[in-house]
Amino acid sequence: MAVVSMMQIRIIALTEYRKPLMELLQRRGVVQLQNDLPHDDVFERLDITAPCAQFQRGAQAAEQALEILSRYAPQKAGPLDSLKGRAPLAPGQLEQCAARRDELSAQAAEILQLEKQLCEAKAAIPKLQVQIGALSPWMGLEVPFNFAGTASTRAFIGSFSGDHTADALLQSIQLPADVPLDLTILSHSKEQTCVFVLCPKKNAAAVENALRHAGFSLPALAGSLNPQQQKAAWEEEIRRCEALIQKNTRLLAGFGPRRADLELLADYYSVRREKYLAMGKLAQTRHVFVAEGYAPAPDAAALQNELREKFFAAVELIRPDPKGEQPPVELRNGGFSAPMEGVLASYSFPGRGEFDPSFMMALFYYFLFGMMLSDAGYGLLIVLVCGVLLAKFKNMDKGLKKSLTMFFFSGISTVFWGILYGSWFGDAPDVIAHTFLHSDFTLKPLWVNPINCPMQMLMFCLLIGLIHLFAGLACKAYLLIRQKDGMALLADVVSWYLLVGGLILFALASPAFIKVVQLGFVLPAAVGAAGKWLAIAGALLVLLFAGREAKNPLMRLVKGLYALYGSTSWLGDLLSYSRLLALGLATGVIGQVVNQMASMGGDTPLGIVLFIVVFLVGHALNIAINLLGAYVHTNRLQFVEFFGKFYEGGGQPFEPLAAHTKYYQISEVK
Amino acid sequence: MFTNGLSWALLGAALAALGGGMGSAAGVGIAGQAAAGVVAEDPGKFGKVLILQLLPGTQGIYGLLVAFITLSSTGILGGTADVNMTMAKGLLYLAACLPIAIVGYVSGKRQGEVSAASIGLVAKRPDQSGKAIIFPAMVETYAILALLVSILAVTGATALPV
Repeated sequence: MAVVSMMQIRIIALTEYRKPLMELLQRRGVVQLQNDLPHDDVFERLDITAPCAQFQRGAQAAEQALEILSRYAPQKAGPLDSLKGRAPLAPGQLEQCAARRDELSAQAAEILQLEKQLCEAKAAIPKLQVQIGALSPWMGLEVPFNFAGTASTRAFIGSFSGDHTADALLQSIQLPADVPLDLTILSHSKEQTCVFVLCPKKNAAAVENALRHAGFSLPALAGSLNPQQQKAAWEEEIRRCEALIQKNTRLLAGFGPRRADLELLADYYSVRREKYLAMGKLAQTRHVFVAEGYAPAPDAAALQNELREKFFAAVELIRPDPKGEQPPVELRNGGFSAPMEGVLASYSFPGRGEFDPSFMMALFYYFLFGMMLSDAGYGLLIVLVCGVLLAKFKNMDKGLKKSLTMFFFSGISTVFWGILYGSWFGDAPDVIAHTFLHSDFTLKPLWVNPINCPMQMLMFCLLIGLIHLFAGLACKAYLLIRQKDGMALLADVVSWYLLVGGLILFALASPAFIKVVQLGFVLPAAVGAAGKWLAIAGALLVLLFAGREAKNPLMRLVKGLYALYGSTSWLGDLLSYSRLLALGLATGVIGQVVNQMASMGGDTPLGIVLFIVVFLVGHALNIAINLLGAYVHTNRLQFVEFFGKFYEGGGQPFEPLAAHTKYYQISEVK
Repeated sequence: MFTNGLSWALLGAALAALGGGMGSAAGVGIAGQAAAGVVAEDPGKFGKVLILQLLPGTQGIYGLLVAFITLSSTGILGGTADVNMTMAKGLLYLAACLPIAIVGYVSGKRQGEVSAASIGLVAKRPDQSGKAIIFPAMVETYAILALLVSILAVTGATALPV
């Protein structure tokens, strides 16, 4: 029910036991190794970079293979599968994986290889299609592109830009009259005219020069195949690629059933990597090694015995020095307050000398959450959904379990407040009775409908806020008593109780104030006078002692005045609880809007259908929005108003060496 | 008809829905752009950034809420409206709607900006999403206070014999 007390643990053992000992530590998961052991001439550290990199590569290959399988052999996942959590792994199965490591790694490598080929083939096809497209103007050519001529002729294959006829081209090629030239147009379009030119070999140089002047350019294609053959070859290549894609897709799909093996392999490598990372924190000589860290006190003794018996290790347990480094923080709580650990972790873990506020938080958290959501129908729905999920999926992820438990308890509180406010899916019972049963039935709230007397409800919400804030102050008092700091208790806690409490008594005895807030009672004047004096006493305490750390009396007084000015923050904190009313009203009134819209069709068959549809959609939206609102603002009231009174945080969470796996849950073996 | 109170009351209801809705639309829009950017990089953060994007959406709902209370307490919704409502009474409703209309607009937009920044925070430090939610919720406090004043004022104005 609190912060688990930590022991410093020092393990000295023979190097030959290093691996099994680390494996045991990893299985137990109760030691966080420290990285600050000295390494000098005597003690050195194991170089773990190479094995760690190797294991990481192995794990990555398995993960990539799994990712590929999820595309080519998708696993049918139901919407609730994510709640099932990781499957437990029988003892020894991970060791079996070690024996099959090479086979499994080869499998992963094969999957990666198949996918690589497949991607290459997929990329090649459009490229080949572009090339075939570029070939089309040359299809009239019957010789290969690298055809230079025969024994006595010289051939030029190329193009002119623009659309030309053979005559026009012959005219533009300026040659002496005695040079014979044969020019064949292969194709022509707006962009280019492709030609085949033949001339006697002896005139080759002159012709080439003349052609160049006329704007002749060589094609970007080459090769010893003529265009027909080339096209056929490339088309064949495309078919080959398509066949490869089909084949590899089929092969990859065939790997679907091996998914479990690959998951095991990924977990195997990440567990090994974690072990080696931990080994890097050891200091060792040739024969012995030393490990230092923290272990939770309740588990430390058992671990000590086990290590002594199994590995003949010297295990020392040391109570940490309260003034030294703060040990890592682990929280252990019962089912009621455990869900708060997640909320607390998102703020900060308890710092030095602080206690675990989970229980106090839980009390108010569920209470305030219920007040903000405040609809019995919504609450029941939440309780049912969370309850069924929690009962059905015993093995779900721990964080998720905590969240669902939190909503379960919050749901119970929501039902409670919903009944008090008379809100069941807004005013659904009334609306259904009026529209479909034609009765003037109204469901009376057990206590009060907040919209009917908002001022009194506002005062009630502020009273809840006052209790919450005073409880926070009480937590601070508990801390200060534990630290035996009587002066601080008087100046920082008692003074505020007197000041705030006195002011409230004073206000409640003032008829003018009571008239504004429309309360039905007024405290006797004597109580008001007492309140006044209590408040003055409190203010004096703050003024005189809040700045007690300052040596200079003037400084001290100024600091006291500043602290007294801080009383305005109490007003702000208190008014902040008006959100309890506002959000509660929001849920109820939006629910009413939904019901009113739903009932607009009246008591006809179509009206009933309309009612059901609008009712379901509208209330689903209302639940979603207000659930988010209630969650966010309950957190805010805890973090800002409640924690502002006593809690600082700053503790580092306890992160023991353990088997942190992704797919399987490694069970503990004795 | 300027002297008809009902027109003023309806104007108030419309302003409440307008201000809150516009503020939320702007806020959710700003936050949504940031959220889409984060999800493009890491689709796994969708759930976390979606919550942050939704946070500035509440002002629109508060506006709707006040508009609805005004419509139903003036009887415009339900058909029992007093067509001879005095101008003074109509203006009372209008004034009652102003807090959520104006604060809803401004805070919705501002909250969207803070949400966008918080989405950036979650992108870099996903473990800090609890704190990231608190910053936008700070802005929302003022929308809630305005909502409360508007609700109190509308229900109070209904009871006044003006």
